[in-house]
Amino acid sequence: MSDAQPTDFDPVEPNTGEDFEPVEVFPDSDDFDLRPGADSCYKCSVCDTNCPVAEVDDDFPGPKFQGPEQWRLKQTDDGYEIDDSVMSCSNCMRCDSACPSGVPLSQMHNTARGEYVEEQMDKLSVEYVRNRILSNYRLSASIASKVPRLANFAMNFGPARWAMEKTMGVTSERDFPEFAQQTFRQWWAARGGADASRENAIESRERRGEPAEADKKVAYFHGCYSNYNTPEVGKAMVHVFEYFGYEVVAPEQKCSGTPMFANGMLDDARRHAEVNVSSMSDLVDEGYDAIASCTSCSMALRQEYPELFDIDGIEDVASNTYEAIEYLRIHEDVKGEIESAEVSGELAEEFAYHAPCHARNQGLERQAVELFRDLDGVGVEDVGDSCSGISGTYGWKEEKYEKSMEIGDEMFEHMEHAEGETGMTECPTCAMQMEHGTGYEIRHPLELVEAAVVE
Amino acid sequence: MVSTPHIAVIGGGSTGVGIARDLAMRGLDVTLVEQGNLTHGTTGRMHGLLHSGGRYAVSDQASATECIEENRVLRDIASHCVEMTGGMFVKRPEDSEEYFQEKLQGCKECGIPAEVVSGEEARQMEPHLAKDVEKAITVPDGAIDPFRLVVANAASAQEHGARIETHSKVTDLLVEDDEVVGLEVEHASGPGKRVHGTEGGTEAIRADYVVNATGAWAGRIGDMAGLDIAVRPSKGVMTIMNVRQVDTVINRCRPKGDADIVVPHETTAILGTTDEEVEDPEDYPEEQWEVDLMIETLSELIPMLEEARTIRSFWGVRPLYEPPDVGSEDPTDITRDFFLLDHEERDDLPGMTSIVGGKFTTYRMMGEQISDHVCGKFGIDAACRTADVPLPGSEDFSVLRDYMDEFGLRSPIGRRSVERLGSRADEVLKTDGPNPTVCECEGVTRAEIQDAIGQSGSDLNAVRIRTRASMGNCQGGICTHRMASELHGEYDESVVRDAWDELLQERWKGQRHALWGEQLSQAALNYALHATTQNRDNDPAGGDPVDFAAFDTGVDHTGDSGPADVAADGGTPDGD
Repeated sequence: MSDAQPTDFDPVEPNTGEDFEPVEVFPDSDDFDLRPGADSCYKCSVCDTNCPVAEVDDDFPGPKFQGPEQWRLKQTDDGYEIDDSVMSCSNCMRCDSACPSGVPLSQMHNTARGEYVEEQMDKLSVEYVRNRILSNYRLSASIASKVPRLANFAMNFGPARWAMEKTMGVTSERDFPEFAQQTFRQWWAARGGADASRENAIESRERRGEPAEADKKVAYFHGCYSNYNTPEVGKAMVHVFEYFGYEVVAPEQKCSGTPMFANGMLDDARRHAEVNVSSMSDLVDEGYDAIASCTSCSMALRQEYPELFDIDGIEDVASNTYEAIEYLRIHEDVKGEIESAEVSGELAEEFAYHAPCHARNQGLERQAVELFRDLDGVGVEDVGDSCSGISGTYGWKEEKYEKSMEIGDEMFEHMEHAEGETGMTECPTCAMQMEHGTGYEIRHPLELVEAAVVE
Repeated sequence: MVSTPHIAVIGGGSTGVGIARDLAMRGLDVTLVEQGNLTHGTTGRMHGLLHSGGRYAVSDQASATECIEENRVLRDIASHCVEMTGGMFVKRPEDSEEYFQEKLQGCKECGIPAEVVSGEEARQMEPHLAKDVEKAITVPDGAIDPFRLVVANAASAQEHGARIETHSKVTDLLVEDDEVVGLEVEHASGPGKRVHGTEGGTEAIRADYVVNATGAWAGRIGDMAGLDIAVRPSKGVMTIMNVRQVDTVINRCRPKGDADIVVPHETTAILGTTDEEVEDPEDYPEEQWEVDLMIETLSELIPMLEEARTIRSFWGVRPLYEPPDVGSEDPTDITRDFFLLDHEERDDLPGMTSIVGGKFTTYRMMGEQISDHVCGKFGIDAACRTADVPLPGSEDFSVLRDYMDEFGLRSPIGRRSVERLGSRADEVLKTDGPNPTVCECEGVTRAEIQDAIGQSGSDLNAVRIRTRASMGNCQGGICTHRMASELHGEYDESVVRDAWDELLQERWKGQRHALWGEQLSQAALNYALHATTQNRDNDPAGGDPVDFAAFDTGVDHTGDSGPADVAADGGTPDGD
């Protein structure tokens, strides 16, 4: 592999087109082969019992069927079709962490869904168009953020939403997230970009008694939501990392692909991934680590990219990607600093914390509770291990809305029982659901770290 | 006209049912007896290769020519049993170029369509072939399901009036005035469909002629009339992989040798085989090194086999025969051709012919020749129609259906079901009641299980070979009890228990040589699941009938509990 051009490579089944030179790609095709994954399944059904969708949707056959079972049943030469029920999987990926035997369930689901959308879905159908628009949130958001006030009005304008539901199948039950008046990247540029960050980092190192030239540098993958909707999270990330002496860069980036995977739009996802991997891998080569503040973004870069795509540098990027707080807990005594800190003012609250499914898959579901346990002025209560139910675009679909809320019921109930009336989570769409179900305001853990140690 | 002759056929393998179907279609009265299930002997223990003839194209061109002819016939009359995968003979660097050329030439001489492809082209077709495979010859090999084929032949014979008796072991040949006039059988559970626990009994079946189509067991039948039929059974091991590593039959292009073929079969791939003479077709050692040899040697062709999951291994015995004066030392040298031994000509004992040797792909042609021979005995001049009339299930059908709309089935489950049932799909799958998936690994639904039970009685192994239920990667861990439950209603609890036990035994047997890695995990899970949820480790009911009336009926929908005088554990209500 010598470039990051789009390839015809399809992980589901090796391309045997005429231009295809099997000897060249053979070593890579091993990586994508799902046979060993199908071999790992011993049918215990633990994935099915952990699937939040199967619990509320009797028509959904569950991850075991969608993954290893269907894969094995359709494994012949002739054109077996993918069952359309794969479109009901929300891609929460809980099955991945539930499986005791290491079956790559989400990889199987993602490839099957990609195949279904590519081969079987009517490209003129309302469902396809709707899914394409939902999964390309970045495009809509980038347009909307040019005129945020107008967009905020229009996107929540009743008659418009009614029309969207009727013609597109986007639920009118939910409020669209507000677009910020100034995006994170606008703020970042105005602030002086990487140069300013280096100066701030050097200043912090001096204060912390570290060498001014310490090799502490991170590339921030802010994702779409922190950029267009919640720049306060991005700003908190920059402030916190600079406080600990890190130089931050904000490289060119597109959508992580998370909503695209969930909708089987693998071509779109690949196109975005190529940009992300290309810019991140250059930085990784220079010694940067990639940091995300959204747990689904870090999940995509770490797991889905190498499972689904063959892009130069993808493995290096995957193995050098971290979630922001995870990274600090590994490299800095952030817990110690927080123990001796105190929060007052706006964030001196009791928080009802929900761990996103994708954080759970990265082993991060306890980090917020553990980190803030001894922070004066603040309480963080875990609201349990259920799924919020929104799963990115899933809960935005008119036909899934009710199920999404049914999945979320357990979380809503536990949030009501928790002492605080402010929510906390790392995931932007979980935050939407938490707010929608309880009316609470939802904050990101980075904001609390910022309040504790920076301010 | 004299009354219709009654022919008794011994042996419910491919040869026996092929003969039974042919004779019945020609209007003769036929009774077929089989000691176990259909396919109980060698037929149920083969790798499912529909030969193109390529394997015999150098060593045995007569057989090769027959194979390609019958290959074309079976694609036509048994389309629902055949998957035309295509095949290749692949050459590794150490394999002889001279033999490769001989193979190519031999295929051409026998009329087998054969083309040379480069190593790259071969890997385009089969990406998991070893990188150093130099080139290959493509041939029209295919995969065939021997179970489905035999069941369809038997069903066709029955439609034409034949009587098929399984689980009916021949205990003696009736010989009167130096002529075979019939046989005596021991029915395991009475005539007709098998029902466990039904009183068996012996039956004398008088026949105008007897055909001994028992393959490796032919000598044992012969002994009953003092005949010496020296079949030389030769065992071969076959190892089943959990998934298909290849979608094409892969043969190693070399003169002869063990472990030289991989056949994609339904959801699995089958590795074969060895060739070693044994004394007794029912009692020979099955050894782990034979399985290891399969995996090790075939990994030279398909490297990923080394790490892949094996779900099962089984052994079969070839019913090899050669005239005593040939005297081959090595079983691989014995011809694969078949021999028709007319005992009147050979041993001065009229009334019976034995058929020995031969191979699965040409079963129909063998049946035709035997039927011609038998008809000749009675001066009947009836044409053979088995090459032209499709088997039940293989009449015109398409697998491209709207599975959800037509049958309410998820697409891959519907597709698998229709592929198995062929033209019978509508009849079987269009049911009024709920139709849940019983076997998840192979996508078998209740409707298909019930159809099989309707054909074969309480025998769950007979249901298994008809449907593939319990033949997938969990090897019955998740579905055997569900299959047994499907017997409920028509059959009593004790029948269901016996049938369930028997199926489980059979499933465990084949896994003995697959107990490492992932299949060991599977076995551990199956054991734990069966022990903890089904009392399979130590059943307190222990064979005694269970007093189900002593259990309460649970909570009904009105919220009332069941009758107060019984406890949920079958004990007394006060807990003593």
